[in-house]
Amino acid sequence: MINFQNVSKYYDGQVILRNITFSIEKGEMAFVTGPSGAGKTTLLKLIYLSERPDDGDIIVGDFHTATLKPSKIPAFRRNIGVVFQDFKLLNNLTIYENVALALRVRGVGEKAIKGAISNALKLVHLRHKAGSYPLTLSGGEQQRVALARAIVAEPVVVLADEPTGNLDPGTAADIMKVFYEVNIRGTTVFIATHNKELCKNTGKRLLKLDGGNLTGNEVG
Amino acid sequence: MALSYSFKSAFRSLYREKWINILSVFTVASNLFIITLAAFFLYNIELIASNLPERFSIVAYFKDDLSQEETLGILDSLKKRDDILSLKYISKEDAMNDLKKTLGDTSYILEGLSENPLLSSVEIRVKKDFVTSDTVTQISDEIKKMPGIDTVHYGEKIAEAIHLLKRSINNISIIIFLAISSGVIFVIYSTVKILFYRRKEEIEIIKLLGATKGFIRKPFLIEGGVIGFFGGGFVVIGALFFYFAVTYRLSMVIPIFKTLTFPMEILMLLPIIGTTLGIIGSIIALGRLKL
Repeated sequence: MINFQNVSKYYDGQVILRNITFSIEKGEMAFVTGPSGAGKTTLLKLIYLSERPDDGDIIVGDFHTATLKPSKIPAFRRNIGVVFQDFKLLNNLTIYENVALALRVRGVGEKAIKGAISNALKLVHLRHKAGSYPLTLSGGEQQRVALARAIVAEPVVVLADEPTGNLDPGTAADIMKVFYEVNIRGTTVFIATHNKELCKNTGKRLLKLDGGNLTGNEVG
Repeated sequence: MALSYSFKSAFRSLYREKWINILSVFTVASNLFIITLAAFFLYNIELIASNLPERFSIVAYFKDDLSQEETLGILDSLKKRDDILSLKYISKEDAMNDLKKTLGDTSYILEGLSENPLLSSVEIRVKKDFVTSDTVTQISDEIKKMPGIDTVHYGEKIAEAIHLLKRSINNISIIIFLAISSGVIFVIYSTVKILFYRRKEEIEIIKLLGATKGFIRKPFLIEGGVIGFFGGGFVVIGALFFYFAVTYRLSMVIPIFKTLTFPMEILMLLPIIGTTLGIIGSIIALGRLKL
């Protein structure tokens, strides 16, 4: 489903990712871990095409991102749900509207949107907050809204960048439960985290990044 | 569905950024008002200019020794021409009477004449579209060549002046319309550009969610169109107020203003013109969107 082939990325001549090769199968759940600045966020950005690789190719599903035409990027991104590290919620929209946006860009009708949002918000236990605005929510709640938005359109791949960062262990466990649930339904899940505890004894694949190099690819 | 979202998003932004939008609406309105004022005056000048050719005529004098049949023959052949609107035959006697009327009290100077020295003539009115310097010269030359015609008099300079006036009015109209329309487009371009940059972060997020260029652009096109529409709408109100002020109130003091007129249907086009210019301004402002 996600296939990195000798991918490198540089910023101002500095290596961020060097010659990365790995693949994640369809329906698999995997983690990428490493210290801050290891290149985890860049790795995810390369997948959802916020960044382009300088070398190598990334294949996501049927899309070769290295040669993907700009006009095809929206269609490509609709296969992916992303939980951003900084949530990227629109503060002037309600929780309902924020989650609905993921469906509206896909051209989903209002009736279907209503049902899908109800399910997604139920999954993250935020149905009662549908009419609230992001800034009135706690960090953990905002994180869960971001998660609801990422999964509401049932994408084939869900990416998450530090989805439990700054959360208390209880809330983090709740969030992880949702990821496992989504994965059980057949969605490929790829999570970047610096929290090693999160991927311990999960039986899921664990990629280790350090200084832009892939230093490990094992079962956690 | 996406369209209703686009409308909601556009109106939300119009409300959120109401001050900049109100300012744009009034700037657009003042620009469109200038176009309307120019159109109002040019329309009235054009109306006067379009009546001028109807007053233009060519006078052809018949040779003195022409029989009645020959004169009628010439008149018949003139009537058959496509470029001639009407003919007015003036006999020698009519010409003398006219001259006497013109001379009034001094007409006694004609009393010494043993015979009428004036020639019979025909006053030819040319159709409006043919009143240009070139066509009038051509028509006159053709008439002059007709047997039985002595001389032809026509106001070549007048014909040229009328033609020039009409052409100038057309050119001025086009220049004013293009210049001010560019102004309107620029105002909306600037507004939409500002709105776009203010929502840059929001747009970046929507892009990452998989929005197409069209999805991102639509609310801005609607915003530009709405600003243009309201700009045009305000001008309709302003122009109606201006029109009645000029034709009713001002004409009481200066009667010539009563003759001014304006087709009201054109006013109704202003919101459409405003909307179109608004959408054009938005399209230019958004340019090539990078995904």
